[in-house]
Amino acid sequence: MNGPLIVQSDKTLLLEVDHEQADDCRRAIAPFAELERAPEHIHTYRVTPLGLWNARAAGHDAEQVVDALVQFSRYPVPHALLVDIAETMDRYGRLTLSKHPAHGLVLTTTDRPVLEEVLRSKRIAPLVGARIDPDTVAVHPSERGQIKQTLLKLGWPAEDLAGYVDGEAHPIALREDGWALRPYQHQAVENFWHGGSGVVVLPCGAGKTLVGAGAMAQAASTTLILVTNTVSARQWKHELVKRTTLTEDEIGEYSGTRKEIRPVTIATYQVLTTRRKGVYPHLELFDSRDWGLIVYDEVHLLPAPVFKFTADLQARRRLGLTATLVREDGRESDVFSLIGPKRFDAPWKEIEAQGYIAPADCVEVRVNLTDSERLAYATAEAEEKYRFCATTATKRKVTEAIVRRFAGQQVLVIGQYIDQLDELGEHLGAPVIKGETSNAQREKLFDAFRQGEISVLVVSKVANFSIDLPEATVAIQVSGTFGSRQEEAQRLGRVLRPKADGHQAHFYSVVARDTIDQDFAAHRQRFLAEQGYAYRIMDADELLAES
Amino acid sequence: MSSDEKPDGRTAAPRSLAEALRARDDASLAALLRARPDLITPVPTDLTQLATRAGTRASVVRALERLDRFALQTAEALAVAGDPASYDELLGLMTGDDGDATVAAALPRAVRTLREQALVWGGDDRLRLVRTARELLSPSPQHPSPTGLGPTVQEATAGMSPGRIQELVAAAGLPSTHDAVSAAAALTALFTDRERMAKLLGQAPAEAREVLSRLVWGPPYGQVTADPATHLRWLLDRGLLLPTAPGTVVLPREVALHLRGGRAHRETEPVPPPVEPAGPTGTRQGSPQVVDATAAGQAYTALATVEELLKDWDEGGPAVLRAGGLSVRDLKRTAVALDVSEPVAAFWVELAYAAGLIASDGEADERYAATPAHDEWRERPAADRWADLAGAWLAATRTAGLVGGRDAKDRTLAALGPGLDRSVAPEVRRRVLALLAALPAGTSPDPESVLARLRWERPLRGPQQEDDLRSRLARWTLQEAELLGVTGRGALSSHGRALLGAPEPHAADDAARTQGSPDVPDTPGDKLPVHHRAAPAGAPAAGSVPSGPADPQARAAARAAAARRLAPLLPEPLDHVLLQADLTAVAPGPLQRPLADVLDVLADVESKGGATVYRFTPASVRRALDAGRSASDLHAFLAAHSRTPVPQPLAYLIDDVARRHGHLRVGAASAYVRCDDDAVLNEILADKRSTALRLRRLAPTVLAAQADPAALLEGLRALGYAPAAESAEGDVVITRADARRTPPRTPPEPVPEGPPVPDATLLAAAVRAIRAGDLASTAPRKTPGTPPAPGELPRTSPAETLATVQAAVLTGEALWIGYVNADGAASQRVIAPVRVEGGFVTAYDHTADEVRTYPLHRITGVAELADD
Repeated sequence: MNGPLIVQSDKTLLLEVDHEQADDCRRAIAPFAELERAPEHIHTYRVTPLGLWNARAAGHDAEQVVDALVQFSRYPVPHALLVDIAETMDRYGRLTLSKHPAHGLVLTTTDRPVLEEVLRSKRIAPLVGARIDPDTVAVHPSERGQIKQTLLKLGWPAEDLAGYVDGEAHPIALREDGWALRPYQHQAVENFWHGGSGVVVLPCGAGKTLVGAGAMAQAASTTLILVTNTVSARQWKHELVKRTTLTEDEIGEYSGTRKEIRPVTIATYQVLTTRRKGVYPHLELFDSRDWGLIVYDEVHLLPAPVFKFTADLQARRRLGLTATLVREDGRESDVFSLIGPKRFDAPWKEIEAQGYIAPADCVEVRVNLTDSERLAYATAEAEEKYRFCATTATKRKVTEAIVRRFAGQQVLVIGQYIDQLDELGEHLGAPVIKGETSNAQREKLFDAFRQGEISVLVVSKVANFSIDLPEATVAIQVSGTFGSRQEEAQRLGRVLRPKADGHQAHFYSVVARDTIDQDFAAHRQRFLAEQGYAYRIMDADELLAES
Repeated sequence: MSSDEKPDGRTAAPRSLAEALRARDDASLAALLRARPDLITPVPTDLTQLATRAGTRASVVRALERLDRFALQTAEALAVAGDPASYDELLGLMTGDDGDATVAAALPRAVRTLREQALVWGGDDRLRLVRTARELLSPSPQHPSPTGLGPTVQEATAGMSPGRIQELVAAAGLPSTHDAVSAAAALTALFTDRERMAKLLGQAPAEAREVLSRLVWGPPYGQVTADPATHLRWLLDRGLLLPTAPGTVVLPREVALHLRGGRAHRETEPVPPPVEPAGPTGTRQGSPQVVDATAAGQAYTALATVEELLKDWDEGGPAVLRAGGLSVRDLKRTAVALDVSEPVAAFWVELAYAAGLIASDGEADERYAATPAHDEWRERPAADRWADLAGAWLAATRTAGLVGGRDAKDRTLAALGPGLDRSVAPEVRRRVLALLAALPAGTSPDPESVLARLRWERPLRGPQQEDDLRSRLARWTLQEAELLGVTGRGALSSHGRALLGAPEPHAADDAARTQGSPDVPDTPGDKLPVHHRAAPAGAPAAGSVPSGPADPQARAAARAAAARRLAPLLPEPLDHVLLQADLTAVAPGPLQRPLADVLDVLADVESKGGATVYRFTPASVRRALDAGRSASDLHAFLAAHSRTPVPQPLAYLIDDVARRHGHLRVGAASAYVRCDDDAVLNEILADKRSTALRLRRLAPTVLAAQADPAALLEGLRALGYAPAAESAEGDVVITRADARRTPPRTPPEPVPEGPPVPDATLLAAAVRAIRAGDLASTAPRKTPGTPPAPGELPRTSPAETLATVQAAVLTGEALWIGYVNADGAASQRVIAPVRVEGGFVTAYDHTADEVRTYPLHRITGVAELADD
């Protein structure tokens, strides 16, 4: 009775990381518990029905789960909780989706009352066909994803044994010359392939693209890759050409400007969700080839219409990649049920400890509003308040001071409001990248930044995702999309790529004191704080005095 | 079993229950009184009175309800046997013709129980069921017996015509007899003779046998049409079915017994159903250590929950409903606050109430609040606190499980409200736990087998129900014991065992108990004393294990023992927390009270369980500052109780909140003094006479006063200043002496003495009325005794009535009178008075044709009858 684990009544598990058995315990509970927070001393895991069912799907049984809890728990585990876990896990697999030689896709049960119960549900009725025998009912093949999702919501998750189509074969191999997949990337690919479909969660800069490439090499079939924007699409292409046996000609780009369909096609979410006269004209992309693998980059940004199409793609292998599965719209569970469960997850700090991402020093700088600004802020309309305090003039001085301090290093200034960015760009003498900047111009500037020709770049939220700026060592955030936690994580990701000289990255967040800017900042930082990135808080005066 | 074992078998056969009791020794009488405590309230004067009281219906019903199923079945069998019945006859009824070794072995104990309880008396050759019990248990059409037997031939033929009986006898192939009684006896003899009966039934048509088999196990009554089918006719003709009422027939008891092979019960249950260990249901049977640890964990949770409840109610709990109890809304709110379901919340609330930790405050606006006892309780060690709760639970008659149900008047039963007391609750709780205690340590029982056992021990007379009060109480007991940590994983913990006052189980004993062997004297038949009176020294209660400690000292000792056992199992309170940069603090176990109290203020609780997760927020830090702590206090506190350095964001948070804390100040003043010249204000403050005004300088030109504006003006004037009052808008208020006026009022009405003087009209009317009356009484009658108009009562004055009646007595004449009876109904009668005395007239009433007595004052008047 001196284990590292404490089981809480709200079904969270607290793991004391400094305990000698912590690693064993982490391995034992990882299959069924979600890592929720990973600050320095105590990590919090959560046991959810979904997690338990995923554990069942991965071949773990209730006995193992209960054993893990009882073995590592410091205090007696409430009996009711163990019973609840056993009962929850027992619900999985009462229903099975499988292929039937005569009827196609069928839903079978080992427990007839359960089938009766779900068939009575109004939401299930339109998804199923004829009753074949008392224990079997036909399912429309197109509704495979839908019925799985609905059954999950009803609390009777179906075990999907219908398998995957192999897709059109296309040889792809990794070209590991002078580099190799890192151990955790290997593990991620393996976990994904073993599980069939699912989501891999890795910190920004930890090489998610390579996990995608690894999965493609494993599948060796035609692949559809969905990414957030064109710049990101180009980078995927660049990376794939560099790291795999694929050539430029084998990779197509399907975006607003180009509509190429090749064995490996990279499409943007935007083009897929373009709607003309009430229909999505580019959806046929999904059916244009017999894809063997579909990769969803930045799955936390997956737009709602794509969810619906994804439901129809349950027979194809699906890989989701993300740094944070925090969706501000709370649809994490849809990601899990449609793309697949989380197959791999590594705490950021763990990867940092292995040296694959740079250590970062996060600092929140609090600036004081001037007296006249305070009065203006107090009288501002509610919807204008954030804009007002986030763009206060004092932030400019602080930003300049930080840029001065890191003169000679690559500095990114990131913000939300174009006026503010333009003004900063002017004062810092740095180019500004915003929505209206053309793709060509963007790539030119990024290149110049990469080459070190320019050392300071001011970017709006267009550059939030998937731009690869290897040598940025300092990021200064002056304003953001209100309290978006995943934006904060993405922005920190900009500076986490390992540095050639191995030195520390710096992430500054400039925040106006005693305003809602401060409240939003606290909310934004929570995810990173829970990943173990503690923010230091500094006063602007202190910072200005130092420099 | 031989008769010399029984105390009442030694002497000559007793002739009554009283004699049988007289023959008993003291121990045996004490046993009777212990089993039926209602017999000694009040203490009977002698054994005859005791016997009478033991035979009263209420007492017998009570005793029967407390019999176990086999003893009750035995009593039921006796009720259908002859009176008296021999032991062998009873044995035959219980085992049937084939015999049943288990029943035969269990029967002596059942008979002994019945004898001990004075429900049966007499020697083995003449067992007699107490008459009341016989009436209660023997079959009748209104109350069918659980045996499913009908009346005897003798009873069923009682109202039958002698001719019909002779026909039956003839049809059954018997010689005719002289009278109905001997004919019935002959039929009885035939029906009880297995061989002849078999022969008779052998001739029966197949459908007839089918009819008999339908009725044989009861109910024995059937419907027939006026013109029965042939096979029914065959049965009716031979008396195998006897008519009871038009259209209804009954299967006589003797015939049924023949068909049943002599058994009174379809199934006898001589052995109590054993309490089975729970089957493998995903979670295995724990070892005693696991059970103890789990139960201790739950015990700790129970304490935490009760403390949380009390904390929630600390600053004023919910209001008391007018009918008493907690409103549904408050219960819901409490359930949400405790993060449990409503029934469970009701349990915790009731538990805190039973333990005397909360009560109504009795104010006009009645609310629930913690009691002073709670403050003492809080300071005690955790194990003692638990023992208090568990002890209170065990003894409480209040049952939380009933909350939310409805009473007989269809009112919802509220938590803490009236109507939740069930006097059997403590008994059932102890019994259930005793059954658990009888299992080997660490074994959890199958709840259904516990319920089955309880139902065997206290069967309900009448149809068996799944949901009777005892079963529900037992189910609640199992759930509540788990919640409270008396049991862990369904098995009784060692501290739970100590709480019961039960010794550690011995392996050999266990086996015997679980098998429920009837030879272990204390197992199957033992009865819990309902009364909490110590057993007489000379006769220790046989089943002392389950009955547990009865007197307060023993119970206190049991609680102390339970606390001693629990104490080492509870986690040791910690003196440190882990602070993290995400502004949380984790207490990896229970905290020492002062530390927990401070943290509760300084941070919000985010998750509870083995550990507690606290989150620091600006609001929570401000709360701590409001509670009088300074930022440096808080830094020092965190540094002292954290094993790791205080994270910078947390330190910054505290400083940041402290920086703004108290920046704005709010206070109350009832008046102020304003003056542009500070020197004047200095002067006022310096003046000693101004202390009464309680002035305080807020700013160079403003003083705040606790005195009201009028007093302040007065005071300043007394100091020699000339202040002016200021309105809320800051204008000078012009003061004038205001004339004060009431709202419109009317002048008061004069109040005269005595009644009002009457006016002339009234006086005239009164005089006229008096005169008229006087005239009526004094004017000579024209024709005394004039018959009134037809249809009216004769009216004469009382004196005249008396005279007329007395005259009529002498003359023997009949009179016509008007009479008003006690209900006020008037009638006219013709009477011939016989006697007049004491205000009554006795007369022959021609109208009613009998002699009657009439009070004179009820006679309205008399008139002589016309001579013709």
